[in-house]
Amino acid sequence: MAEVRKKFDLFMIVNITILCLFGLITLLPVMNVVAKAFSGEGPVIAGQVLFWPVRFQVNTVRYVLTQPEFRNAFSITVFVTLIGTAIAMFLTTSAAYPLSKPALRGRKIFLYIFVFVMLFNAGMVPNYILYRSLKLTNTIWALVFSGTFSVFNLFIMKNYFESLPESIEESARIDGASNLVTLYRIVIPMSLPVIATITLFYSVGFWNNYFAGVLYITTPKLKPLQQYLYDLITMALNTTDATGNISGDINSIMNLSGENVRSATFVVSTLLILLVYPFLQKYFVKGVTIGSVKG
Amino acid sequence: MRQRNQKPFLSYFRRNYDMYLLLVPALIFITIFNLVPMYGITLAFKDYNMFAADTPFMSVFKSPWAGLKHFIDIFGKSDFKSALANTLIISVMKIVFIFPIPIAFAILLNEVRNLRFQKSLQLVVYLPHFLSWAIVAGIFVVLLGSTGAVNTMLVSLGFEKERFLMDNSIFRQVLVFSDGWKEVGWSSIIYFAAIAGLDQECYEASRVDGANRFQQMRYITLPGLAPTIILMLIIRVGNIMEAGFSQILVMYNPTVYETADIIGTYVYRVSLGKLNFSTGTAVGLFNSLIALFLVVSANSVAKRMTGKSIW
Repeated sequence: MAEVRKKFDLFMIVNITILCLFGLITLLPVMNVVAKAFSGEGPVIAGQVLFWPVRFQVNTVRYVLTQPEFRNAFSITVFVTLIGTAIAMFLTTSAAYPLSKPALRGRKIFLYIFVFVMLFNAGMVPNYILYRSLKLTNTIWALVFSGTFSVFNLFIMKNYFESLPESIEESARIDGASNLVTLYRIVIPMSLPVIATITLFYSVGFWNNYFAGVLYITTPKLKPLQQYLYDLITMALNTTDATGNISGDINSIMNLSGENVRSATFVVSTLLILLVYPFLQKYFVKGVTIGSVKG
Repeated sequence: MRQRNQKPFLSYFRRNYDMYLLLVPALIFITIFNLVPMYGITLAFKDYNMFAADTPFMSVFKSPWAGLKHFIDIFGKSDFKSALANTLIISVMKIVFIFPIPIAFAILLNEVRNLRFQKSLQLVVYLPHFLSWAIVAGIFVVLLGSTGAVNTMLVSLGFEKERFLMDNSIFRQVLVFSDGWKEVGWSSIIYFAAIAGLDQECYEASRVDGANRFQQMRYITLPGLAPTIILMLIIRVGNIMEAGFSQILVMYNPTVYETADIIGTYVYRVSLGKLNFSTGTAVGLFNSLIALFLVVSANSVAKRMTGKSIW
């Protein structure tokens, strides 16, 4: 018995060590960026900053926060996320309810249309041409519509609606409630967890989408936050290339404050997600375990 | 069932018209933004002149047919062939090196009985999933740059500096690692949930029979996870044509096109960079047809093998 006990402890020590290593690998890259954002310029350029700030200062962060381009990009993203999520939730909830009723006539056809749309996209060029023809390029609506409505989220919500007990809705109908009233008064209040989850999925999707901006927006004033970051990174990566000097490195060629400012921009851009994430984590996890895979 | 089918549709519709009304907004939306652009696919078979009509979309109608010219063209282009090869190579590398890690992580974390440790570690490893690729690319550009922490450590250990983001011999590994960094924790959720759903009595019984932890993992947890693992692997292989467009578009640069240019980034550069819209559409169509075939096959294989499907 004593030997079993000892083995068990050794296993646990090795196991905890491996798991802590996992956690460290996740955290250290983030800590490197945070450390650089708060370090003095000198140590950053000299490559002395590892995972803790050297010559701590907050001026770089303050500088980023006062940049008009950054503030503008930030507010564009906030606006797009709010409007986009609202439209997306309206479309998704409305469509998920009828599709969750097996008795709905023509349900199969509608489901096939949605599955087809999920699996087959016309592609980058036809979409771009459509957006240009509708005069949506270089408007905020290009950012809103290109992220709106995910069939995947529609199916998660539909599966959740299917799992609700039919009896409550049935009694509402006997009392004379229409389908619409049943949806808004009975079904949605019963589905708050899935609605919270899908709202979060959409918001994160809008917040994180940089390609919509890259594809549809060239007006500097309309660039969302992620496109601002994309420009920052590609500029950093391509400076070296432009010189044709491959032996040089990205950061050494950038101007002195380059890496400092970039690190601070990444940190500030992530701050909002970092602040809300711990409180919302359980809703995200729920989204994966509810109905993402059909039984 | 029979009774319902016998009712005339009109009276059914009159009572349930609001159900169809609820579908209308979403149907209008996908018609405009998903179905109408499908017509644009004909570009792949035309010589597109964007200014042939008032709007770029109407110009599609006006442009002359070109048959299969663009498809024959792309197969003669070495950069297309290398993009196709890179797509497959990067995808396979990601499957081989990343796919097993969340499984191992979930099993190991499940062995920890300290709930607070479990929860805090989950909080940490799920986080990168919520960062955009622009942020994650930014983090890795800072980390792997010449003054980044990795090179600082390499130098202090007596090694040469490494140009991680500019070196064709190592850039794919950077892509695989950063993708793993972002998604491993999040992917473990599904396995974690599957382990939690396993019959706890099996563990009790095996303990009475004197099984140690390794034997429990080998003979209870792993076989119990097998259906989930198989399902996830089939889905993953079905998505092999998606090698990580959002990731690569922001992380790559001309010095590593040779090893990192994939179909998606190739389409983007050819069509919006060089304005070869017809070629871009042809490559995109080629890619989405293969992808569609693979995903549908994967789904039916999954249905047959595990009784579960994605839709």
